[in-house]
Amino acid sequence: MTGIVDADSVTKRYGEVLGLNGFSASFQAGITGLIGPNGAGKSTLFRLLAGQLRCDAGTLTILGFPAWGEGEFRRSVGYCPEHASLFDWMTGTDFVTTLLRVDGFPRAEAHERALAAIEIVGLTEARDRRLRGYSKGMRQRIKLAQCIAHNPMLILLDEPLNGVDPVGRANLSALMRQLSTNGHHLIVSSHVLYEVERLTEQIVMIAHGQAIAQGDIHRIRDLIDSRPHMVDLESPDPRGLARLLGAWDHVVSIEFTAPEKLRVRTRSPETFYTALPSLVVTEGVTIRSVHSADDNLDAVFRYLAGGGR
Amino acid sequence: MTGEWTRLSAVTWLSLRGSLRGARLFGLVAFALVPTLIVAAVASTHPGASTLSNSAEGLFVVLTLPIVTMVIVLVLSVGQFRNEIDNETLLYLSDRSISRPMIVLGKYLGSLAAALVLVVPAALLPLAVAALAGGTAYSIDVPVALTVAAALATMAYGGFFLFLGLVSRSALLIGLLYGFLWEELVRLLPGSAPQLTLVFYLRNLLSDLLPTGPLSGFDAPLTAAGAILVLVGVAVFFVVSGSVVFRYIETAPERESA
Repeated sequence: MTGIVDADSVTKRYGEVLGLNGFSASFQAGITGLIGPNGAGKSTLFRLLAGQLRCDAGTLTILGFPAWGEGEFRRSVGYCPEHASLFDWMTGTDFVTTLLRVDGFPRAEAHERALAAIEIVGLTEARDRRLRGYSKGMRQRIKLAQCIAHNPMLILLDEPLNGVDPVGRANLSALMRQLSTNGHHLIVSSHVLYEVERLTEQIVMIAHGQAIAQGDIHRIRDLIDSRPHMVDLESPDPRGLARLLGAWDHVVSIEFTAPEKLRVRTRSPETFYTALPSLVVTEGVTIRSVHSADDNLDAVFRYLAGGGR
Repeated sequence: MTGEWTRLSAVTWLSLRGSLRGARLFGLVAFALVPTLIVAAVASTHPGASTLSNSAEGLFVVLTLPIVTMVIVLVLSVGQFRNEIDNETLLYLSDRSISRPMIVLGKYLGSLAAALVLVVPAALLPLAVAALAGGTAYSIDVPVALTVAAALATMAYGGFFLFLGLVSRSALLIGLLYGFLWEELVRLLPGSAPQLTLVFYLRNLLSDLLPTGPLSGFDAPLTAAGAILVLVGVAVFFVVSGSVVFRYIETAPERESA
């Protein structure tokens, strides 16, 4: 593996609890979405990458360096944590400037870079206020400012849009795209899948501490197509429709979800969608609506994480 | 080297400012003023000048040095890592290009400076009150000796408590047990056992610097230089040990992570 970040069978335990369980993935250049539900292991992976935690087994490299390590390569990495507190007694400018000084930047350059980063995240007006007075969205943005101020090659963003208002989300998403355009590589975690879907097609899906799928959305859709695909149908005669659909050999199961609704699982969605119109014509059944439950990444994730249930 | 100095000074300044803030600062200032208030209370009874000056110096030996200084240094030192690990602010330092030993050194220097801001006045203000109220003219040797002893106590206790904060979640409790049980009880034991306490070397130092002071009867086996060497050595040992330990410990809070 020769990605920006390479994980090979990485395991991390918290006592009896497995944070990561043989996680293997290669994160390539550009923006990569790390997708998984709460507790999947996303933050554990970020903490390992940030050098806060050490792998119990496996290897994890970041820009070719072991993730558990110190040194100049850390200047090439920026980390925006999800939960971390801030030095609340500092102002925004002070916070970012101080951390740049910790990275070895001279005072004047640190101040200049801090102001530039704060402007990028849209906090210029609030930069001289104490952090304790910042809203959740503003705190998220100042964490992002300290993350990008030293112009790192790789930017790690742990749930960056969590708690940010809709306008802020749009702005941050635009900023992430801009950072990528400018040559930065981003790994962005989220459990809100449509947010990542709008940012990138390159994703790594994680569940129970393991990478369950990796690649672009289309590749993952190919994976999906080898598993039962879920379609919701609405008809005034659901039992008659179910009897007809049950005769198709690629239909795995049929479930009545409401008086006039049924959910069909098929192993061949393409065949299903091709044959459905002819069923209406030849058998005269009425179908009021057809809805694929797999229209977004959320459904894709549910399929993969649930082992195709 | 310039970059390393910038990094070290940034962590030191951050640690110093972070230590001297909030309700904790008010509590520590109030605690540091206790010896001064006691001397002021004694002065209000209009004792003789020598009684007042003796009480000020004696109070330094029995209260300011072993209790006030120790507690102030304990509170400021153990939180340098433990609090920051728990609320995850330490990651803002540990994920940077600064080396981990430099973080330890910066935090030690920052907490040392913060403690000295409180400890030195705690040592000197009672003398000032005694001098003003009783008209005592202290020789310069007295405030110098008390300042040196307070500074060395801060250095040695600071190194030890910083190390404790790195290796134990119960550092505050262990530190209190150490300060009030080990330091106070072991120093009373016969033989060479008291040499296992820091307060022994601090008393040794004071008795050598102030031969006519409250510790004039102390049986000091070391010269002042020897005592200083031991106290500085203890500080260096624990800061170096802390630097080694910090290279290997995880800095995420102990909870199940997502």
